[in-house]
Amino acid sequence: MYPEIDPVYDSDDTDVEEANTIGNIPLEFYDEYPHIGYDINGKKLMRPAKGAALDALLDSIEVPKGWTGMTDRNTGGDLMLTQEELEMVRKIQMGEVPVDGYDPYAPMVEYFTSKTEVMPLSAAPEPKRRFIPSKHEAKRVMKIVKAIREGRIVPNKPKEEEPQFYDIWADDAPSRPDHIMNIPAPKLPPPTHDESYNPPAEYLPTKDEKKAWEELDPEDRDKDYLPRKYSALRLVPGYDGFVRERFERCLDLYLAPRVRRNKLNIDPESLLPKLPSPQELKPFPTTTATIYRGHEGKVRTLGIDPSGVWLATGGDDGTVRIWEVLTGREVWKVKLGEDESVNTVKWRPGREAGILAAAAGDDVYLIMPPIFDHETEAAGKEVLSVGWGYAEVVKKNSLKKEPPAKWSKPSDKLAEVGVAAIVTVRISVKHISWHRRGDYFATVSPEGQNRAVAIHQLSKHQSQSPFRKSKGIVQRVEFHPFRPILFVATQRYIRVYDLAKQELTKTLQPGSRWISSFDVHSGGDNLIVGSYDKRLLWHDLDLSTKPYRTLRYHQKAIRSVKYHQGGLPLFCSASDDGTVQVFHGKVFGDLMENALIVPLKVLRGHVVKQALGVLDVEWHPRECWLFSAGADGTARLWN
Amino acid sequence: MTSAEDSPMGGTDPQSTHQIQVKFTTRHPEIAVPTAPILVPANLKRYGLSQIINHLLDTSTATPFEFLINGSFLRTSIEKYLSDNGLSSESVLTLEYVRAILPPKFQAAFQHDDWVSSVSVEGENRRILSGSYDGIVRVWNESAQCLYTGVGHTDAVKTTKWMSATKIVSAGMDRGLRIWEVDGEYIGEISEVSALAEFVGHRSTVEKISVDSSSGRVLSAGMDSLVGLWTTNISEAPKAPKEAPVPKAKRRKESSAGPPRYGSLRMLEGHTSPVSGVAFDPKDSTVGYSVSWDHTIRTWDLATCSLADSRTTQHPLLSVCVLPTLSLLACGSSARHITLHDPRVSASTVTTSTLRGHTNAVVALSPNKNSEWQMVSASHDGTLRIWDVRATESGSIWTIKREGEGLSGKEKVFDVEWSSLGIVSGGEDKRVQIDESPKGE
Repeated sequence: MYPEIDPVYDSDDTDVEEANTIGNIPLEFYDEYPHIGYDINGKKLMRPAKGAALDALLDSIEVPKGWTGMTDRNTGGDLMLTQEELEMVRKIQMGEVPVDGYDPYAPMVEYFTSKTEVMPLSAAPEPKRRFIPSKHEAKRVMKIVKAIREGRIVPNKPKEEEPQFYDIWADDAPSRPDHIMNIPAPKLPPPTHDESYNPPAEYLPTKDEKKAWEELDPEDRDKDYLPRKYSALRLVPGYDGFVRERFERCLDLYLAPRVRRNKLNIDPESLLPKLPSPQELKPFPTTTATIYRGHEGKVRTLGIDPSGVWLATGGDDGTVRIWEVLTGREVWKVKLGEDESVNTVKWRPGREAGILAAAAGDDVYLIMPPIFDHETEAAGKEVLSVGWGYAEVVKKNSLKKEPPAKWSKPSDKLAEVGVAAIVTVRISVKHISWHRRGDYFATVSPEGQNRAVAIHQLSKHQSQSPFRKSKGIVQRVEFHPFRPILFVATQRYIRVYDLAKQELTKTLQPGSRWISSFDVHSGGDNLIVGSYDKRLLWHDLDLSTKPYRTLRYHQKAIRSVKYHQGGLPLFCSASDDGTVQVFHGKVFGDLMENALIVPLKVLRGHVVKQALGVLDVEWHPRECWLFSAGADGTARLWN
Repeated sequence: MTSAEDSPMGGTDPQSTHQIQVKFTTRHPEIAVPTAPILVPANLKRYGLSQIINHLLDTSTATPFEFLINGSFLRTSIEKYLSDNGLSSESVLTLEYVRAILPPKFQAAFQHDDWVSSVSVEGENRRILSGSYDGIVRVWNESAQCLYTGVGHTDAVKTTKWMSATKIVSAGMDRGLRIWEVDGEYIGEISEVSALAEFVGHRSTVEKISVDSSSGRVLSAGMDSLVGLWTTNISEAPKAPKEAPVPKAKRRKESSAGPPRYGSLRMLEGHTSPVSGVAFDPKDSTVGYSVSWDHTIRTWDLATCSLADSRTTQHPLLSVCVLPTLSLLACGSSARHITLHDPRVSASTVTTSTLRGHTNAVVALSPNKNSEWQMVSASHDGTLRIWDVRATESGSIWTIKREGEGLSGKEKVFDVEWSSLGIVSGGEDKRVQIDESPKGE
């Protein structure tokens, strides 16, 4: 409520400055000062004198008229409202017009509407279109006429009568547009009489039928319902199977949705890699040429001498036998153990001395079979006897810890038949591997913990065990064909040791549970591993520690795997299923090209005895002749 | 012999409307017929054609003939042969006819104590020589009587040969060759003879020997991949090389009591694997052939002891024989077949043809002395097979099995010789078996 303005010169106070110039800041900032701000000239505006505390108390008890409890920030005094202002607040609160003397119901002044002016506001004549028929309407009418002429609109068409009865299943499955993704639902047969709410009496089940139906499993019933009779449709209860059926329908859609599967129209043959035909990869062994009969019990192991003329076999009867390769004639035999089987026989590499290492029980026998000429025999004797003296000297000088094996001279009886030295390892020896130069050989005794591997030196009659700690049950060891590297196969891993630096360089992980045997390719970069879990694994040492190829063709455990070391790209695996499988395995000189592996032939012939089939295989050093030792007591030559 | 042979002339048979022109040729002048083409019914088989030849020859007794077309025997009618091979029936067909050979008959078997590794037949006295794995060389007469035994080899005998009517050469796993003289009259019981001389030089088993009777030379094939050239004229033979101190006194005892020892004329080096067969060239005794497990056939000039030629084949070779008039070498391989090679340097191809049929390694071959085209082979599959090299496609003509009680049929045969006594063979069944030489050519 502002005062009435007297419009004189001084009445305009719009440029009157506010008395206090501190701006919009809280007044509490000045609480501690005697002033409350500054006027336009910079003079302090002093706080109005406050009454005594008693006055304040009295003020608070006896509220003066217009008291608001607020402070006028211009003056610093109490802000009071006048009587008029209070009245205005009240009117606003009551929703009334706050101005005095305003009549909301004053009569309306009609300026234009109710009076017709004698003189029009515009002198323009009426347009022509007000007097001629509408073209737009004519267009719309002509459209309708055209439709009638064309028969799209039939005037006075008699209303189509709905038939009284109709086939409610006629358009049960509304035909959807023919689309490749639309699979029409199978059409259900129409309901029959017994599905009626009021079927004829002959459709109603008898008591026995009812009982039989109820006793059947829900999935064995030929009908999901029992016919029931109601005298009137209004007596038919709600369908009790509704929820269950919906649920099952959803289950069907969820578990067996109808899906159109896209068939791949590809010839499966074309997806297989192109392998050369085995006919192009000849020669390879195909048939049994010779059967070596004589062993009583299983033939455990065999070895072909470096000249390729003599075959040595060892078996469960404790004998080592030597055979003429082609004729299958046994030319020599020796019984090594009374009740111990010969676990392995290995010829010393090199043609100059015919020395055979055979392991039976704890002992490794170094044998010179008397089938060679005097020169060879003398050379062999020289190789084997040179170490005795050395061993004597060492024995005298050293008081070091016990060596892993003891070298001794054989008894006269054994010496007579050709045994030249016996190395007693004290733990049962299962495998022997010769170094290529023929001075060292390694023995494996799987039960020997940290002494499982022992390396024996022929020229000094010394033995040492290279590993201080056991890394698992050692299965096989092999020397690298030309580098100072030793491969040690435990049950799971093959560790590659550098013998020169005396360190572990690589650990191969074939991924099989239990390695039975492995062999090193003559190039030294590839390995085949056979395992008791039927797998034959090809490792490329340049590629990774995982196998390059896994071949699962055997039905039973693989006992032995061998590469052809004489230049033919062949390898084979022997298994307890009685078969030997021959593969073409070509290693390319080009490092970019991976090995080519082609299965060639399954050699069947050995009889499985006591779940053991073929126990050992060996390739002829030059020809594609394969020797196999079977649990049926025979060895075979395949060519 | 009426209708079948009348039909080509008269054409009385209404069925045989189809006739073709054939020309009969033969390599035997005594049974030659005019070579002008004649018309024969196309449905004739071997028998009908044979009747025609007999008619043309006008012989008193009918001789069976076999007919060769393009390296194989005619086994069907001519018509079928033409249609199978897509040949025209308009052109003249050339048929070569040979006397058919009848199946060989088993004659006798001589029992041994051990495997029989080698046999050899001497034609003059009709004696059979056998070498056995028990280390004994035996001489038999035709009526299965053992006349002489040669004891002295310390290991199995692998090869034996008659040098002359009274001289024997043998060798085996004891690495030495021995010569024996079996001169004395047969006195009704077995007489033991001892070796005249022992020849040492091989470092391993001597697998095969070949003898040249005229010069007294012997070629030997050793498992030590050497070919030994020896002379049996003791005056020419060099002294045995000084042996390194012999390791075993015991073995020494045997050999010290043995015959005088001689060395080789030359040990021919060249093979890289065991040598499995040797042969002298029958026409020129200064030429020798050897085959080896290293797949090669080597021709040696024995006058200069040098290697003349080396041919590489596909497979390890185990046996060799020379077909003299054809200048062919037949080689048996471990790959179950026999290959025919032309050893002459001028020959361009290594292998001329292959004879297939054996099911195991072919370890011995022997030519038929009466027919230049026939030979017999012995194999580890337990059979002997008779081959005609003109019919390389037809396989073997006859197969001879081992005769005897309780044999499995798989007993290996180690050696065979086709001689005037018949086909003599020895093998794993511990017998020398004699089969009658098949009648025919």
